[in-house]
Amino acid sequence: MSGTSAARGVFGAVLILALWEVTARGFALPAYTLPAVTQILGAVWEHRAALQAAALVTGFEAITGYAIGALAGIGMATLLVLARPLRAGVLPLLLAINSVPVVAWSPLVLLWFGVGVSSKIVMVALAVGFTIFLSALAGFDRVDRRSVDLMRSFGAGRIGIFWRLRLPAALPLIAAGLRVATVRSLIVAIVTEMLGAYGGLGWIIYQSVTLIDFVQVWAAILVASTLSLAFFGAVGALERRFIFWR
Amino acid sequence: MNATAMAALRLLGGVILAGLVWEGVVVLFGIRPHLLPRLSEILAAIAFTPGAYWAGLQRTAAETLIGFAAGTAVGIVNGLVFFRAPLLRDMLLPVFVVSQTIPVIAFGALVVMWFGNTLMAKAVIAFYLTFFPVTVNTLLGLNSVDPRQAALLRSFGATPTQILFRLQLPMALPQIFVALRLGASLSLVGAIVGEWFGDNTGIGVLLLQAMYNESVVALWAAILCAALLGTGFYALVAWAERRIVFWGAEQ
Repeated sequence: MSGTSAARGVFGAVLILALWEVTARGFALPAYTLPAVTQILGAVWEHRAALQAAALVTGFEAITGYAIGALAGIGMATLLVLARPLRAGVLPLLLAINSVPVVAWSPLVLLWFGVGVSSKIVMVALAVGFTIFLSALAGFDRVDRRSVDLMRSFGAGRIGIFWRLRLPAALPLIAAGLRVATVRSLIVAIVTEMLGAYGGLGWIIYQSVTLIDFVQVWAAILVASTLSLAFFGAVGALERRFIFWR
Repeated sequence: MNATAMAALRLLGGVILAGLVWEGVVVLFGIRPHLLPRLSEILAAIAFTPGAYWAGLQRTAAETLIGFAAGTAVGIVNGLVFFRAPLLRDMLLPVFVVSQTIPVIAFGALVVMWFGNTLMAKAVIAFYLTFFPVTVNTLLGLNSVDPRQAALLRSFGATPTQILFRLQLPMALPQIFVALRLGASLSLVGAIVGEWFGDNTGIGVLLLQAMYNESVVALWAAILCAALLGTGFYALVAWAERRIVFWGAEQ
């Protein structure tokens, strides 16, 4: 059953690629409309050195920012759950910061941290941090009021309740947040690079747009997509390994 | 009505309080304007050229709304088609899911090349950022309907169309709204980033100009506009959700 649907999925993907190739070649579409798949792959191969260097820069920014953001997000959510009085003061501030579309912070962060790698790491950490903070907080709050009361009546402290009850309940939501955040980390890194950078996939995309080199744009997008898929897959695999009861 | 007025009043009070705290903290701790200017300074900047900010707000709002509306409509229709045609779903859904994990915003550059620096180009970017989650969640919602309920309706002589509109679509609405809330923020991001590839008006343009002028005050003014638009739009979707999915009281 799932074997046939998987086969259909592969068939669909191949069909789309074939249709794309035939349309682009058959109608001799100019590259600015739609370059052929083989043309894009050729460009990736041709510019492999530059693209690899750019992918390393973007990947480094995304993974470093991701790690910082994930730790900060989970840490902040834990802090607000354990220290209730803090929550009333800090949560509205965080929600206000989050109400701004994340890319709107990019220009400001660029002014503060410069055009180098650090501004991208800060932006990724911001986007990832909020994604994971919100899912972790929702997860910690998800526990049944009565379970908390029961544990308290057995003499469990705030930390005991957190460790034994809230954290296990929150893990699936945190894991979902971690997965969504992988894609977001690369998007934010690329978007911030487009505004100004010394290297990276977003920078290549922006450069190629200004140079009207359309095949190069597609090649950079292809590399970015592969990077994103690999990151998503890696975090998903880690999740399956560690959250075994799901 | 009275409760709404009270809630609005409380919200207004909260916003004014937050503004006062902002102003007070900056003055009290002597925060450099390079990091965080006083709120009054930012508001003065907006009041100095209200036309530019108002035009930018309108333009970006139009791009976001058109893209969001089209993305919602096409996404729901697409979800329905996938629901009715399992073969098509099996063939295309994996591609859709994979395409969700790629940084679609990078395609913004291509879209702007195809459509030029028009309102339409940004609406298209907002469209496809909304379209994917709505499609996937519509299908998820439709699939979560208990088949026995559909069988019951069918045994009473309901046509497939009736079953769709009376049972399946309403049951899918909570899931669809999850995607719509996500789409509300994503479509705004898409519109703003789309404007960076070249335009004359819009919040994205204001952000870019402020960055090139290294004017932190103007940047914060544009950020405030973006926050206003984002919050307003999100609140609108959430309000529609409470109105339409009135039974979804679990949240």
